[in-house]
Amino acid sequence: MITYNLYSILNNEIGNGSTDLVTRQSGRVIREKIETDLTSEKDGTVVALDFSSVGIVDYSCADEIVAKLVSRLLGGEYGDKYIMLKGINENQKENIEVALERKDLAVMAEMRDGNKALMGDLNNYLRETLQHIMKKGRVTAKDLSEAIGLESNTSGTRLLNLHKKRLVIRTDETRSGGKVWAYEPL
Amino acid sequence: MLTNLSDETFEQFLLLASVQNTINLGNITFIDPFGMVGVLETGRYYKSMNAARNMVLPNSSHVLKYLERMDFFKHCRRFFSIQPETQAISGRYLRKKFSDVLLEITPIEKSDDIHFIVSKVKKRAHNILSSHLHYDENRINGFIVSLSEVCQNIIEHSENTGFVGIQKYHFQKYKMNVVKIAVMDLGIGFSGSLSDRVSLIGDLEAIEMALLQGVSRHSDEGRGHGLAAVRKFVQNWNGKISIRSGTAKVSIIPSWSWGKSREQDLIHFPGAQINIMLPEV
Repeated sequence: MITYNLYSILNNEIGNGSTDLVTRQSGRVIREKIETDLTSEKDGTVVALDFSSVGIVDYSCADEIVAKLVSRLLGGEYGDKYIMLKGINENQKENIEVALERKDLAVMAEMRDGNKALMGDLNNYLRETLQHIMKKGRVTAKDLSEAIGLESNTSGTRLLNLHKKRLVIRTDETRSGGKVWAYEPL
Repeated sequence: MLTNLSDETFEQFLLLASVQNTINLGNITFIDPFGMVGVLETGRYYKSMNAARNMVLPNSSHVLKYLERMDFFKHCRRFFSIQPETQAISGRYLRKKFSDVLLEITPIEKSDDIHFIVSKVKKRAHNILSSHLHYDENRINGFIVSLSEVCQNIIEHSENTGFVGIQKYHFQKYKMNVVKIAVMDLGIGFSGSLSDRVSLIGDLEAIEMALLQGVSRHSDEGRGHGLAAVRKFVQNWNGKISIRSGTAKVSIIPSWSWGKSREQDLIHFPGAQINIMLPEV
């Protein structure tokens, strides 16, 4: 995992002494810097946007940075990468979630207390699947079918959908002489 | 002659300013942030029309002290000829150590100004919002985010510049503290801003669309949320918000406050004039 310190980016790109992620204009400048760095990362990289040294995050800046990055990530604009948030406090979470929910997006976050949480919009059955992956650590469609009594096609679709939303990492592994997809938390 | 200057008397003030070259504030005994930014924006407006106005300062030393504490004189000389000429006013009145000023009159011209405003209000939030309004961390965060969003409207939508000021008051009648936020610009207003997306709408409808439905001049998803979120914050905390633009004004009024919820055919004034009042909890 590679961490981008948002306070450092704010300081370098805006440089006005502020510790707050406010205004759409500032958000745009910061997102463009992240996008430049993100495209040069290797495929499969998980990039954590670290909010731990940042103060206030307003809706406009959250939309410009988080919601747009996630939206473009899902559109394949940055290649096969993953984005998660890190060092989030409750107030920041509230404002970022509003920006994500307006676009029907979701992202994984590690809160300031170290707990992992899903932020934004995700339907109940995908939430349930995600929780299972987070609990087990590594899951195949067969594992999921056995654990929660689903048809294997349904399990496969759920896992694939979570991967398409870039909420879980997909790798292949060999089981009983055949290759299967395995899914892991970010 | 006007004795107080706030959003309630702004129409009278605009009427006077439209017909008199000298705006006489001599009898003013009360002025709030809306009154102050209203005077500044009116002066700026007439100056931009090559019809700069003169201003007679209030006689009340209390009002003069307050204007000084709010940095009013720092800006007003750019727009008015002041009578009597009082060069000594600036610095004449020492600031109170424990001022009720949450934010002096501050120009909003660029994104950096909002960073400055947010930083300043954060520093003073504990002294005023926690102590006098009993706001907790979550509510202070909501307050500052709302302030940031309402100020950003000027940069994102007005195509002009503006001012903001914030002050805490004690309402004797209701035995409660309130914070008043005033934000104004001289830009294209709500109907001008929405005209690219919605054709031929009046000022009232344009304010309602932006405030109540979150409609923005920008069509992309995620836009238009700022002002709607400000409205939700104000309503959640039992506050009052009034938005005046062009010739109309829309207010959301809690039970403890007063006023008309919809006003039309007011004196035309460009841009947007926003007044927010938040009570203690």
